[in-house]
Amino acid sequence: MGEADLPVTPDVAWGARARPSASPLVEGIRRLRRSTTALLGAGIVAVLLVVAIFADVLAPRSPIASDQTHTFERPSWDYPLGTDQLGRDMLSRIIHGTRISLLVGVSSVLLALFVGVPCGMIAGFYGGRVDTVIMRAMDLILAFPIYLLAIILMVIFTPTAGLIGTMKVTGAIAIVRIPIYARLVRGSVLSIKEKEYIEASRALGVRDPWILLRHVLPNCLAPIIVTTTLGIATSIIVEATLSFLGLGTQPPTPSWGWDLKANVAFIQANAWLSLFPGIAIFVTVLGFNLFGDGLRDALDPRLK
Amino acid sequence: MRTYILRRLLQIVPTVLMITFVVFVMMRSVPGDPVVSLLGDAYTEEDAVKAREEYGLNKPIVVQYGIWLGKLVQGDWGVSILTGRPVLQDVLIRLPVTLELIVLSMAVALAIAVPAAIIGALRQNTWADYTATSVAMIGVSIPEFFIGVLLLLVFSIGLGGFLPSSGWIYLPGTCPTVVCGASLWGNTQHVLMPAVALGVGRAAILTRLLRASMLEVIRSEYVTTARAKGLSERPVIFKHALKNALIPTVTVMGLQIGFLIGGAIVVETLFAMPGLGTFGIDAIIARDYQQVQGFALLTALAFVIMNLIVDLTYTFLDPRIRYA
Repeated sequence: MGEADLPVTPDVAWGARARPSASPLVEGIRRLRRSTTALLGAGIVAVLLVVAIFADVLAPRSPIASDQTHTFERPSWDYPLGTDQLGRDMLSRIIHGTRISLLVGVSSVLLALFVGVPCGMIAGFYGGRVDTVIMRAMDLILAFPIYLLAIILMVIFTPTAGLIGTMKVTGAIAIVRIPIYARLVRGSVLSIKEKEYIEASRALGVRDPWILLRHVLPNCLAPIIVTTTLGIATSIIVEATLSFLGLGTQPPTPSWGWDLKANVAFIQANAWLSLFPGIAIFVTVLGFNLFGDGLRDALDPRLK
Repeated sequence: MRTYILRRLLQIVPTVLMITFVVFVMMRSVPGDPVVSLLGDAYTEEDAVKAREEYGLNKPIVVQYGIWLGKLVQGDWGVSILTGRPVLQDVLIRLPVTLELIVLSMAVALAIAVPAAIIGALRQNTWADYTATSVAMIGVSIPEFFIGVLLLLVFSIGLGGFLPSSGWIYLPGTCPTVVCGASLWGNTQHVLMPAVALGVGRAAILTRLLRASMLEVIRSEYVTTARAKGLSERPVIFKHALKNALIPTVTVMGLQIGFLIGGAIVVETLFAMPGLGTFGIDAIIARDYQQVQGFALLTALAFVIMNLIVDLTYTFLDPRIRYA
């Protein structure tokens, strides 16, 4: 959600006021390392990645095995975060839920990126009819309130459990996010293509695909990177929301949004059950937001 | 100005047609059809064919859309296949609930964001600013339904049912039929938590944006001029700085409408409110084609009209912006 206030100005890329000695990238990283909030965000993201990768080792129990003799256990030494109505260990479900959240958050944004960026580059670079066709298609997606589109897409895909179910959610979120990249990149390309170095490459007889890849793309990378980081935060919220509405990855696959919703019914006596998944979503989104904000400040010092 | 509004209103028509058509086609590509749920256990292939014929579901999709549109122009929003009730009637009962929720949540958002952003910008890099920006960062990162759950825990369960956790009582004067009860206090009790849950996230986004644009505007020359000519700080901030700083904020508020509609679905589901959001999600999941079309139509209308209002707000905030 935070990417609404992103820089759309294209030519501020890669540290406009970088010292001549250091490369813009090095300069950007140096600024990033000075920002405590960005480091905090990066730290949270790193921990979550470790949890997601080693979920099988870290989780004390199976996230899906139910135990009718231990339902609604309060948090204790044996069950640090308690158990749900099926006697499943909440801590293990939260740990395994990290996988779904990160997988959907990251892969949906990457998918949107791989479709949206080329679309925007081609539309901006060639203009004319190509531009019209591509951008009208993007406008079509943008004309929808994003949740309406994502919900209908999920109903069409029919939500299921496991990896396939996760891929469906990824696809639905990616589709609604493609236009964001296409518009962002198109805007950048429109100004970059008028630059002398592009004209020079053309005069040298360099082919279009090479110009796009070697000269245009690197110059619109900064806003893409920032949008991607903040976009992961948004995608994680959208995933949690779809799960909350019952349209995400289906049980028994552990998903934070689903767990939160399922346990709201027992909130009166067992409040902690819906608290923990909520906190997990919050911390994850916060991590990516902090990191993304730090990246923006580092890559685009003029906005600070 | 008048011609501009007229032209924009005319542009609404193709957009709404497009959205409703795409939804129409998408819903019919959903696996399974409503006839199966309509007939339930008594399903036989023969009855299904008959029912499909009765509801016109055996015709080509474009023809079906044409029929829907033709009836719509005459004020007929169709009849729900599953409940048998007219869609328009159901939608009208639910519309005031969602409208009140969205308007109040925007009010909550502005009531938090404007003071927080002004304090943040005027006292940049003080503890007040750090508090405002940190709280905003936290607010951006919490999904609406979790804020809702926290509110439920505190005000419904913690305070022994001080605020009701579900249901709805209409605001006096908004109830479209005679059967629903209305009371001001009951309405306030029911709308408070949902409106805050939906508003807090928006408040956080607006605070971040407004603070940034306030910082930019405060350093501009006309603010210096206003101060130099001896204006007191209050009119400088509110008349000169805030008004200009609001322009990018209004744009983002426009972009947030799509999220607000989704947020309404979520918050209404959590608090079991009989609004359009729950109506829409139930209809989509049950594949009640007619209800989904009604929901899509209303959502599309709300979406484009809100965007138009956003564009018109610019002319109020900055008279230099004129639409011919």
